[in-house]
Amino acid sequence: MYEFLQYQVRDAMTADPIAIGPDATLREVEALFEAHDFNGVPVVDGHHHLIGVLTKFDLLKAFSFDSHTLVPHYDQIMEQPAEAVMTRDPVSVDQHLPLSRLLQKLVEMHTKSLPVVDNGRLVGIIAREDVLKALRRATLQHELPVHAESSP
Amino acid sequence: MTTLLYTHPACLEHDTGFGHPECPARLTAILNVLRRSPFAALEWRDAPAAEIAQLTRIHPQAHVERLLAQVPRQGHHAIDGDTILSPGSGEAALRAAGAACAAVDAVLNGEANNAFCAIRPPGHHAEPRQAMGFCLFGNTAIGAAHARAAHGLERVAIIDFDVHHGNGTQAAVEQDAGYLYISTHQAHIYPGTGRRNECGVGNIVNLPLMANSGSADLRHVWRQDIEPALREFQPQLIVISAGFDAHYLDPLAELNFNEDDYAWLTGQILAVAADYCEGRVVSLLEGGYNLPALATSVAAHVKALMEAPKAAQRSLVKNILERQKAKRNAAGL
Repeated sequence: MYEFLQYQVRDAMTADPIAIGPDATLREVEALFEAHDFNGVPVVDGHHHLIGVLTKFDLLKAFSFDSHTLVPHYDQIMEQPAEAVMTRDPVSVDQHLPLSRLLQKLVEMHTKSLPVVDNGRLVGIIAREDVLKALRRATLQHELPVHAESSP
Repeated sequence: MTTLLYTHPACLEHDTGFGHPECPARLTAILNVLRRSPFAALEWRDAPAAEIAQLTRIHPQAHVERLLAQVPRQGHHAIDGDTILSPGSGEAALRAAGAACAAVDAVLNGEANNAFCAIRPPGHHAEPRQAMGFCLFGNTAIGAAHARAAHGLERVAIIDFDVHHGNGTQAAVEQDAGYLYISTHQAHIYPGTGRRNECGVGNIVNLPLMANSGSADLRHVWRQDIEPALREFQPQLIVISAGFDAHYLDPLAELNFNEDDYAWLTGQILAVAADYCEGRVVSLLEGGYNLPALATSVAAHVKALMEAPKAAQRSLVKNILERQKAKRNAAGL
């Protein structure tokens, strides 16, 4: 586990992830989720600055009961732009954050992934799977078997 | 004394399109249950078509004419995403409002204790100038207004236990203290109205319930708010907007009422009616979109209406006991 403490977010993240603009429709976003098995996608402006995150949860939420119609209408909702339902000012992490701290954040927030930024610009995505992989990698060669530690 | 059942085959001809939750099968499911032996004592009556003059007590004439003119000769016409007209919708809507007026006439003329109107389209979202939310004409408000205008009643109470707030009924009566409108509904869903601070001229009692509220919450608001308001008002007639979509199996909302709750609530309303207006209650179908749950809930409601004389007797006994107690108290015993 000592090696894991040396890792930063950028060592484990997916760099240059797929991102969408604020005017992508929910239909396009769902197609993206379908094709890549993403749970969420970052939303960036023309300068690649992170302005939001849109997850499957946000898509579900777009269909929840509201005060406008008795029954939500599929086509009408799926033509909405991403910016209408995305989470604005999302929590993001710096690429130099220690991975141990990132792990802590994922646990506390019950979230599946977080966008990674460098001065506001989107540079990566770090997900639960990435951290699990890093844990495995960090301990694969260096961790001593338990019984070896206890012998003199 | 009997319970009347008003309905009409025309109400099955209001076709809202494939898959629409407010469908003719709702009514079929209800009528199939009410044809069974426990309901043999129901007196079935055909709902007449409402006269235009009955509608215009609530809706401006121009609006009524425009709405009826929008009824298509074939296919469908969408008033909004929820509210659809088909060639049969005009007559269905007139029969639904007509049932309300005929039931009010029958009950006030002493032909029956109470009446249930198995009708569609529903009515409580229909505002004076805007059809919406599956509703074309405001059946409940039209029935209540008929009781006032044609029978000279001064105080008509409306209880609306549909899971959605009856914005249309409220809009129709909120400026007139001769009506009391009480609504339980789920907060924050369609149509967005029905907050506690919407009080009209002191004649509106809105009781929004949070998602997942159930039997205990219903009993709480009955004791805390509904019964005291009703008794203070001393109604000469109670009209019920009977929606059954607060049932725990309904797909359009998230309250958790069950059949026993509907039977209990109906019994409570009848007991108040027995105290103030000789048990006179007219109940009109509004929502309810899980067909089996709708059928069993309506059955529980109508069964309670049919057992009303017993409830009235119980209430009478309770009154006598209370009066005796008051006398004893006054005598210092």
